[in-house]
Amino acid sequence: MEPAVNLTCEAARPLVPGYLDGQLSELSASPLRAHLLACPACRESAKEGRNLKRFFAAPPAAVPVPAGFAARVARRALAGDPGLLQPEPPPALGRAARPLLPMLLVATAAAAVLLFVLALAIQRQNLPAGDGLRAQEPPPWLENEARDLPLTLDSEAAAGSPTR
Amino acid sequence: MVTMHELAREDDQLVEEALGGNALSFQLLVERYQERIFALARHYTKSAVEVEDIAQDTFLKAYRRLDSFQRQSSFSTWLYRIAVNTALDFLKRSGRSPVQAVEDPELSAAPVRALAGSGASLSAPDANLRREELARITQRVLEELPEIFRTVLVLREFEDMPYQEMAEVLGISIGTVESRLFRARARFKEALLRLYPEFAAGD
Repeated sequence: MEPAVNLTCEAARPLVPGYLDGQLSELSASPLRAHLLACPACRESAKEGRNLKRFFAAPPAAVPVPAGFAARVARRALAGDPGLLQPEPPPALGRAARPLLPMLLVATAAAAVLLFVLALAIQRQNLPAGDGLRAQEPPPWLENEARDLPLTLDSEAAAGSPTR
Repeated sequence: MVTMHELAREDDQLVEEALGGNALSFQLLVERYQERIFALARHYTKSAVEVEDIAQDTFLKAYRRLDSFQRQSSFSTWLYRIAVNTALDFLKRSGRSPVQAVEDPELSAAPVRALAGSGASLSAPDANLRREELARITQRVLEELPEIFRTVLVLREFEDMPYQEMAEVLGISIGTVESRLFRARARFKEALLRLYPEFAAGD
C-alpha cells in the first residue's frame, strides 16, 4: 500500500543515503522522515544503509606520528626538499626498454663473430681481396657491339638486353 | 572554544608567515594536521613507513605549492586534496591498485542493480565483534574496491566529511559525490557479502 504522504518511493529512495549521512536540509529531511514512518519498504532500505555504515565504526589501527615529525618536515620543506615520492622515469627507459637491451647486445656479438668467421673462410679459399681486383679484358664481340652504340639515353635503354 | 572560522583564519595567518619563509609557522601548520593526514594515509597502506612517506610528501608538496593556495577553500580542504592525490599516486606507482574510471558502465551497473534489491540484504555487524576484527573486515573489503570508491567511503565514513567538502577535495560536483558514494556503498556491500557471506541478513 502506498503511504499517505507526499513523497513517492521513487523520490524517497535517492534521498536515503544523504539522510543517513546527515547531509539533507530540514526541508528535504522532514518529508522523508514522514515517508519512512509510513513505508516499510523504504524503511528497510534505510535500515540496510544504517547496517552498512556500522562497518565503518572502527577505523584501522592508527600509525603514530613520530616525535619531531613536524619540525623535520618544516626544515626539509624550507630547504627545498622535493620529497621521497618523485615521479617515475619515463616508461620508454623503464620496463619496456630493459628486456631489449641484452637481446641487442647478443645479436651484435653474434653478427661480429659471423663476420669474423666469414672473413677467415674467404682468406682460406685464397679469393682475391678487394684491392686486388682487376678489370678483365672485354671479349672481342662485346667490344664491337659497344663501338656501334649511339650515345643517347633511349638507345641505351633499348640496348639493355644482353640477348638481342 | 575555537570555532572553525577562527581555525581557518589562524591557518591563513600561518600560511602567510610560512610564505614569508617562517619555518616555525609551517611547522605549526604541519602539527595541526599531521594526525589527520597520517590517519588518511593509513587507509591506503598498512605500512607505517609508507604512511609516513605519504604524509611527509603531502606536506612537502603543500609547501612547494603554498603560493598557489587561493583561499577559495579552507587550508584543510586544500591539504586534503593534496593528500588524497599523493596517496592515489603512491598506489598507482606501487602497482597495488589500478586506476579505474568511475564512469565506466561496467563498473557502475552491477552495484546499482545490487543495491536496487536484487541481491541479499545486509545485516549489521555483531555487537560482540571486537573493534579490531571489525576494522580488519572493513579494510579487507575496502581493498577490493577501485581506489576511486575507496576514497569516497574513507572521506565520508571515517573522516566524516560533508558532501560539499568532499566535492572540493575531489574536484567534482556534489551530485557526482552522491552518485559515487551510492555506487561505492553498493560495491562495498557486494564485496562484503562475497567475502563474508555470514553478514547476509536471514529472511
